[in-house]
Amino acid sequence: MKTVVVHPERCVGCMQCMAACATAHSRSKSLFSAIHERPLPRPRVHVGAGLCNEGFPNRCRHCDPAPCRMACLPGAISRDPDTGTVLIDPDRCINCASCAMACPFGVIRYHADPLGPPEKVVAVKCDNCIDRQAEGRIPACVEICKSGALAFEEISVAMKRKTDQVARTVSSDVGAAPSSPGFELLKAVKKVEAELRASGR
Amino acid sequence: MSYVIIGNGVAGVHAAEAIRRIDPDGEITLIGDELFPPYCRPMISLVLEGAVTPDALPIRNDRFYDDLGIAPILGSRVEDIDVDNRTVKIANGETVPFDKLLIASGADPRPIKAEGLDLKNIFYMRTEGHVRSMLTALPKVQKALVLGGGLVGFKAAYGLMRRGIATTMLIRSGHPLSMQVDAAAGELVRENLMGRGLDVRVGASVTAFEGRGRVERAVLADGTTLSCDMAVIGKGVLPALSFVPRDKIGVDLGVLVDAHQETGAKGIYAAGDAAESTDIARRSRWVNAIWPEAVDQGRIAGMNMAGRAVAYPGSLSRNVIRIFDMDVMSGGVVTPETDSVYDVIHFHDPKRKRYRKLVFREDRLAGFVLVNAVEQGGVMLSLIRSETPVVVPRERLAAPSFNWSTLLPRAG
Repeated sequence: MKTVVVHPERCVGCMQCMAACATAHSRSKSLFSAIHERPLPRPRVHVGAGLCNEGFPNRCRHCDPAPCRMACLPGAISRDPDTGTVLIDPDRCINCASCAMACPFGVIRYHADPLGPPEKVVAVKCDNCIDRQAEGRIPACVEICKSGALAFEEISVAMKRKTDQVARTVSSDVGAAPSSPGFELLKAVKKVEAELRASGR
Repeated sequence: MSYVIIGNGVAGVHAAEAIRRIDPDGEITLIGDELFPPYCRPMISLVLEGAVTPDALPIRNDRFYDDLGIAPILGSRVEDIDVDNRTVKIANGETVPFDKLLIASGADPRPIKAEGLDLKNIFYMRTEGHVRSMLTALPKVQKALVLGGGLVGFKAAYGLMRRGIATTMLIRSGHPLSMQVDAAAGELVRENLMGRGLDVRVGASVTAFEGRGRVERAVLADGTTLSCDMAVIGKGVLPALSFVPRDKIGVDLGVLVDAHQETGAKGIYAAGDAAESTDIARRSRWVNAIWPEAVDQGRIAGMNMAGRAVAYPGSLSRNVIRIFDMDVMSGGVVTPETDSVYDVIHFHDPKRKRYRKLVFREDRLAGFVLVNAVEQGGVMLSLIRSETPVVVPRERLAAPSFNWSTLLPRAG
């Protein structure tokens, strides 16, 4: 089973995943008409700024067991058995924010949603684009990501690659696998900028 | 193996399910006071408000007891536990033997001392039944009095206001939500509610209710009287433990439990509002009578009762309330004494009506209060619960831009 794997070191903070996510969860599914919809479709992936302003695409981990599901008062949160996706039923949700206390990653937002009951504020979060997946398409955030920060792959394959990477760093003659120099440059620039801001210059 | 669970609240229900997952054959007896199917207690205020109907309350379907092979004894309270002979005595004189016992009897509303409490239209708001009787009284009510500025008081006041009833809230302490938030946040909440038409009076308490059969006015401690045709008492809760033999089972405010939710009496466990466990943030014993704790403690107790040793790191105070357009979340230690081991930082943006207070003990987060923008509260609670050292600048946690990646190590 494929899942969205996040590679934060490759995130350049362009936020295109947020626009793509909001569009995928709009009624029209088109960016140009989605921006005129009311309520305005909103993203379910959130690019947060780190200490040096580096980007991080923060999305639901679909934890198992899921703390939000355990904490949900009206029993509105369930797991889709086929994809392992943790889903919120907007019709059962009472907007009590109990899930906001439970989520250790802070990925749940509260607003009226184009796909929920009209004018009702509900808890909204990533649904792994299960509607798109049912049509054989990959999640919208992955489809739009150009830097490879978001990938849709078998978790076992991703784990193996990471294990190999760690293993390579301990053999003295090989060293770490080279990544694209652009990422290192961007990180270095952001770090210097953050230091300049901190020193008040 | 025979298991007896006292209480069909959320702790009891989760314990029964945890036992059944591990032990498919054991006999489970569940003794409950309320006849209504296991339901979501925090949602009863939504029924008062009219946002949901009572049929939205049950957390399990009506086949729950049958499906899990549980023998329910409903509509009666336990009178006594015979620790030595391993039996529980019920109000009708019946005794039920047990090998493993769970005390998940929950809590009852804290009673108040005042004259005239037997008058009609004076309510507690704890059970589905309480709200049902409130709804019956509502059509003839024009002016209501809410005693207590805690979570229950607020939910009652909010519900009554949504029903178009003129409501006055009497708070003994200096600001609302005094158990949940600090004075600054409490003041923000008070201002917000006053702006919405709630009459909030601080430093006020009732000494007597008067009326002919039905409550007509309340007499306050300062001698003034307030007319009302309904009163709701929300002065907190106390663990329901009248049946617990205190010479055999250790009781402080709640039943004292260890990391496995087990009491000093072997094979007897406690969970939920009735249990007193170690509070992670306070580093002392505490009764955290909140829904998510009851869920966790019930599960942990159930697994341990069925023979699977699972430790529980401790409980944590936390709460969230949405009142009109204002969200308030708090967790852990929120009002530490001055000159204590705690450091406090504040962030206040009056224009956006945002307030944040963070409480640190050494290099760890120990508590917080958030007014509005509460989405990242779970990250903070997770920091407290896991006792993770905070190595990033503390102001970054209080800033509006705080998010999970703020906690990640610096790039490069």
